[in-house]
Amino acid sequence: MDRNQIRKWLKAPAKMANKYSLHAIYFCTGCGIIEVPPVITARWDAERFGVIPVATPRQANLFLITGYVSVKTLRAIIRTYEQMHEPKYTVGFGSCPVNGGMYWDSYNTIKHLDKYIPIDGWIAGCMPRPEAIFIAVTHLWTLIDKEMADGYVRYRKNYEAYRRNQEMALGKLDWPPLFPATDDLRGNEQ
Amino acid sequence: MSESLKEALESTFKDIQVSVHEDSRIAVTAESHSVLAILKFLKDAGFDHLALISSVDWIEDNVIELCFILTCYERGGEHANSQKMHIILKTPIPREQPQFKTVIGVFPNAEPYEREIHELFGIDFEGHPRLTPLLLERHYEIPPFRKDFDTRKYVEEVFDSIPSIEPEKT
Repeated sequence: MDRNQIRKWLKAPAKMANKYSLHAIYFCTGCGIIEVPPVITARWDAERFGVIPVATPRQANLFLITGYVSVKTLRAIIRTYEQMHEPKYTVGFGSCPVNGGMYWDSYNTIKHLDKYIPIDGWIAGCMPRPEAIFIAVTHLWTLIDKEMADGYVRYRKNYEAYRRNQEMALGKLDWPPLFPATDDLRGNEQ
Repeated sequence: MSESLKEALESTFKDIQVSVHEDSRIAVTAESHSVLAILKFLKDAGFDHLALISSVDWIEDNVIELCFILTCYERGGEHANSQKMHIILKTPIPREQPQFKTVIGVFPNAEPYEREIHELFGIDFEGHPRLTPLLLERHYEIPPFRKDFDTRKYVEEVFDSIPSIEPEKT
């Protein structure tokens, strides 16, 4: 542990623990997932940065969306994101989640993923190098320190707008709202 | 040999055109009513693998062309020679009434291909047990792989019309 950070650890231990143990859900979207196996294994070894892949969304707090998002995948992404516990961070990886990328005029690929779930950071490029994931992780540390990685807070705050957008893309959703309108917990974190 | 297979096909069926591109590649164009008989004939001749069913939308000619690609697993059969052969069987069907008989009776692995073509090109396969959605989530007025489906207009109307959640930071 870095001795210079000991005051941060004493001040907000939970935040620091979250920051240095990011558990990434192993969710394979599109072609970008091909960069992730070398990142998490011996060649680049993401565990140096505290990033480790986990099997289920209940154990994860980092969501890497690695590639184009078809309408069918969007349904799975929303369900996965809503199952993750807070605090949760999402990073869009590659050009396609940013603005559609090379699928900008596709009939079945959504553009602008941040219309459907909140995104904390983007990694642009097609494909980004594995090193870009580590740059993104270190940027995410800074954002968590400054409390700017607040995607899950924005999701609670604007849940009705997000749900409306999701229903515009997917039709009627067959699961109940994550934050019902009568829920007293809403907005308490503001 | 491909030449002997060509002769056998032309002597058995009328109104078909057979062209040999290389020694291992044959293209057959046939009317839609004789496709099932040709597929059965080719299966008996050793082509026991339906590799793919695809289709092409020829909007100028007002037809959709179904393509059946057949190969053989083994080098058996009376017409197969020392190298593996590929046969592509093409049949035009009209765009206004896109109907065809299912080929599941001959090749059972045609089922997912026919579902996919039904979804993306709008061709109805008579006798198919379940023509339910396979790949797509949304409903499309025109099947999206047809040439008159305007993807840019569709994207502008659907995905671009969904509003952003937060104002962009400057």
